[in-house]
Amino acid sequence: MSDERVLCLSEEAGIAESLVRLARSLPLGAQGRVEALVLAGAPPGAADRLAGAGADGVTTVSGAESGDPQVVAAAVASVVESLTPTLLLTGSTKRGRELAGRLAGRLDLAVVTGATSITLAADRLTVERETLSGNAIATERVERRPALVAMLPGFDAPRAAPAASVTRAEHPAPVVAALVEVRERRPKPGGEVDVEKAERIVTIGRGLKRKEDLVLIEALARALHAEVGCTRPLAAEAGWLSDDHWIGLTGHRVHPKLYLAVGVSGAVQHLVGMRAAKVVVAVNKDPKAPIFAQSDYALVGDLYQIVPALTKALGG
Amino acid sequence: MAGKLRIGVAVKHGVDVVLTRADKATGLIALAGAPRKTSDFDKNAVEEAVRLRDKHGGVVTAISVGGPNAKEALREAVAIGADEAVLVTHDGWADWDTRAVGRLLAAASRTLGGFDLLVLGEGSTDHFSGILGPRVAGELGVASVAYARKITLENDLLLVEKDLEREVEVVAAHLPAVVSVGQEINTPRLPTFLQNLKASKKEVRVLAPEALGVDAATLRPSVVAERVRVPEVPRKLTTLTGATPEELAQRLREALASEGVLP
Ligand SMILES: Cc1cc2nc3c(=O)[nH]c(=O)nc-3n(C[C@H](O)[C@H](O)[C@H](O)COP(=O)(O)OP(=O)(O)OC[C@H]3O[C@@H](n4cnc5c(N)ncnc54)[C@H](O)[C@@H]3O)c2cc1C
Ligand SMILES: Nc1ncnc2c1ncn2[C@@H]1O[C@H](COP(=O)(O)O)[C@@H](O)[C@H]1O
Repeated sequence: MSDERVLCLSEEAGIAESLVRLARSLPLGAQGRVEALVLAGAPPGAADRLAGAGADGVTTVSGAESGDPQVVAAAVASVVESLTPTLLLTGSTKRGRELAGRLAGRLDLAVVTGATSITLAADRLTVERETLSGNAIATERVERRPALVAMLPGFDAPRAAPAASVTRAEHPAPVVAALVEVRERRPKPGGEVDVEKAERIVTIGRGLKRKEDLVLIEALARALHAEVGCTRPLAAEAGWLSDDHWIGLTGHRVHPKLYLAVGVSGAVQHLVGMRAAKVVVAVNKDPKAPIFAQSDYALVGDLYQIVPALTKALGG
Repeated sequence: MAGKLRIGVAVKHGVDVVLTRADKATGLIALAGAPRKTSDFDKNAVEEAVRLRDKHGGVVTAISVGGPNAKEALREAVAIGADEAVLVTHDGWADWDTRAVGRLLAAASRTLGGFDLLVLGEGSTDHFSGILGPRVAGELGVASVAYARKITLENDLLLVEKDLEREVEVVAAHLPAVVSVGQEINTPRLPTFLQNLKASKKEVRVLAPEALGVDAATLRPSVVAERVRVPEVPRKLTTLTGATPEELAQRLREALASEGVLP
């Protein structure tokens, strides 16, 4: 079996560390190596933390401070040339995927994004990933190297001991012209809730008739010490709630103890966001709503009658 | 940009996620022969391409890489307003992987005369690799912007609002460029009966990889799906009943208390 050289990089410091731990947990062979990249914009101390997470080598790229994925890809490509990794790991975040695509086009790599786990056995690389709008898991065999795997945030990353000796290197980025110029950067509204960490969530869907009626849902959420979640239409189309409440394929993935879905039909793209909930309760006036097939407890009826009663019963 | 604007738009005829069912006994999904439809964001991509053409003039060419029935996605693109339709296919069609599709889209862009702007969806409904736009741009060596929520064009300068997880970036790039768009960018029009009828008669140009200068033998899959399964989450499926909303609420309170999930 030949040895694996894994190169880990992510614009998110926490993900970069988890990637190093994940790489460390794979059977890389006697001469196998875990290399980590520190890119422009990394927080101070990033190199030390990557070393602490188990990297054999940490390369700090100087230059390439640009919002243009082309510039960053050129820098990473030149590191790839000198370290000749067999496998590149990154995070399946928006920037992670954009960089992955850019790099893959440049270097003609095999790519798997949205990965949930990796298996390496006897030179065979297999990856599990979400597919079909997140409602299925595909097991994919990678037939070409080097390959790039983008891991969905939240993947398992077992702790590992630091390597006995860690090589540190500086790598000057090649100078390339940016093709894209960032003119403005503004934070998105929100930051009100972190549904991904919530223990209880009351999610409201299009069963709600008017924005003013949100008070009913907020009262129920208060009674349950829960956060308020919503389906896509309420955030993206109506704008009644900010994006940080949005749950599903294109929103947040949550894993609360209790998920109470009110006036939510249960579209596949929503279900993927709530699949990991321990107990699911659905309130819907349509007994045939698909959400009921994914629920522990079904309450069939009008939310305008049921929600106030629930607030009362669950509040005290 | 010399002369009229040439816009390419990539449309995928992908597996219909809603109609596809897993085998009850095994939990496995067979993708071969599964029902297909136009990938959701690709309709936004076509709509955006058509709006840009209507404003600035030019030609919109829809391209799909797929089997013979991918013509349906192309006809939908024409019904929305695309001027031309190109299908890239090969005999005995079997799905190509993302690498192959990326190489074919890049080759199509080159050999069909070079697009000033190539528009893609930011992810396909079924596969959602979510990288094809940047991948094609990386291969062509042109500018790329993903996650576009708003596009404006001033001569050959493209201004895009890029929607990231926690921030929005406004970026500028000169044509030629590749942009991938999400669902929030527009609402694709619903073609009229007449537009659909006209589109159904539209000639689709069919090209093999070789016609684009790509040797099909080099498109061997780099990634192969061994199996696709639906993760089974066991749920109790208990319907609670009560004569009044209050009684129903009481039943739920008892159930949640015994589950130990109340505060
Ligand atoms: C590519 C893509 C990505 C997507 N990503 C997401 C995502 O991340 N998250 C997401 O949520 N969606 C997503 N969607 C949208 C998804 O397909 C559905 O359209 C959406 O989830 C439906 O939201 P809803 O359940 O609130 O509305 P609806 O489907 O309209 O359902 C409303 C429900 O409320 C019930 N109802 C109405 N009145 C009452 C009442 N008085 N009392 C009780 N019940 C009532 C109705 O019976 C119905 O079941 C995505 C779609 C696509 C194509
Ligand atoms: N077979 C295909 N033919 C044409 N365009 C495609 C094809 N597959 C993907 N695309 C384009 O690439 C985008 C992203 O797809 P994906 O990388 O699968 O998430 C889609 O929204 C389409 O615009």
